[in-house]
Amino acid sequence: MNKKIMIVDDNEYVRASVDIICESGRLELTSAASGMECLEHLEQGFRGVILMDIMMPEMDGWDTIREMVGRGLYEGNIVVMLTGMGEPDSKMDGLQEYVSDYMTKPFNPDELLDSLEYYLTLLNTPVDDHER
Amino acid sequence: MSARNLVVIGVSTGGPLTLKALFKEIPPLDAAFLIVLHITPQMDYRIAQGLATAATMPVTLAEDGEYLKHGHIYMAPGGFHLKLEGNHRVVLYEGARVNYVQPAADVAMLSVSRPLKGKLVGIVLTGMGRDGADGIKHIHDIGGVTIAQDQHSSTIYGMPKAAALTGAVDYVLPPKKIAAKLIELLT
Repeated sequence: MNKKIMIVDDNEYVRASVDIICESGRLELTSAASGMECLEHLEQGFRGVILMDIMMPEMDGWDTIREMVGRGLYEGNIVVMLTGMGEPDSKMDGLQEYVSDYMTKPFNPDELLDSLEYYLTLLNTPVDDHER
Repeated sequence: MSARNLVVIGVSTGGPLTLKALFKEIPPLDAAFLIVLHITPQMDYRIAQGLATAATMPVTLAEDGEYLKHGHIYMAPGGFHLKLEGNHRVVLYEGARVNYVQPAADVAMLSVSRPLKGKLVGIVLTGMGRDGADGIKHIHDIGGVTIAQDQHSSTIYGMPKAAALTGAVDYVLPPKKIAAKLIELLT
């Protein structure tokens, strides 16, 4: 069963707190300090639930998702945005289909863990017998 | 037998968990539920299966040409717009994005027409943008009941706010109260 989570955030304290939460839920965490690092992990085969910060230097969360989609690295992942802002701006236009959830920091550890476990359940749903 | 009562739901970011919270509160009802969630083709089936674990009614991806049955939840598949013919036959097609998305809730809602044989309910839940706002106004104008999710419970209060700003929303409620309202309206 896939139990992989990736935190993409330039703030090391956020990455550390997600690490603690994932450890409590026995989830496997990959940390990325930037959008570029996230893409590198995806190119190396990471597939799982991605917690993506929006405001990061050089490449923000929206641009990172656009790169994921453009490079064919989106499939097999679920993306949840993490933000200190209340509501997203128009940079999200056109990306709605790729963003499953949106969480405002600081997050409630129990709620975050529940959400991660549900999204992992979705990712682990077999689709072999599903024909379009 | 085709459904007489129809509930059309538009939803986006925050949708998978919100739909789960909503449908776990709803017993089997005499209505067809059509969900338009902004989703990719890679995830649509998984999200439908995830919802099925919480819902009391069967959940499937809507198929082209299919007639909506009562007591059933349909989800629009990713990568297609969905419209209804005669208010109960599914038509899927690929077209230009509407409100930046495909499927778009407005497309499904605007395809519902008079005469209504039963009750019609339009709902807009959490999400970025304004998809569903034109649709909810249309549903209100043709005699349907309209509901928008409230700000406090919305992951993103974009779509419900745009719907409410049309002035055509009858009720602004959190998911649990939306469930209670649907039970009241459809039993």
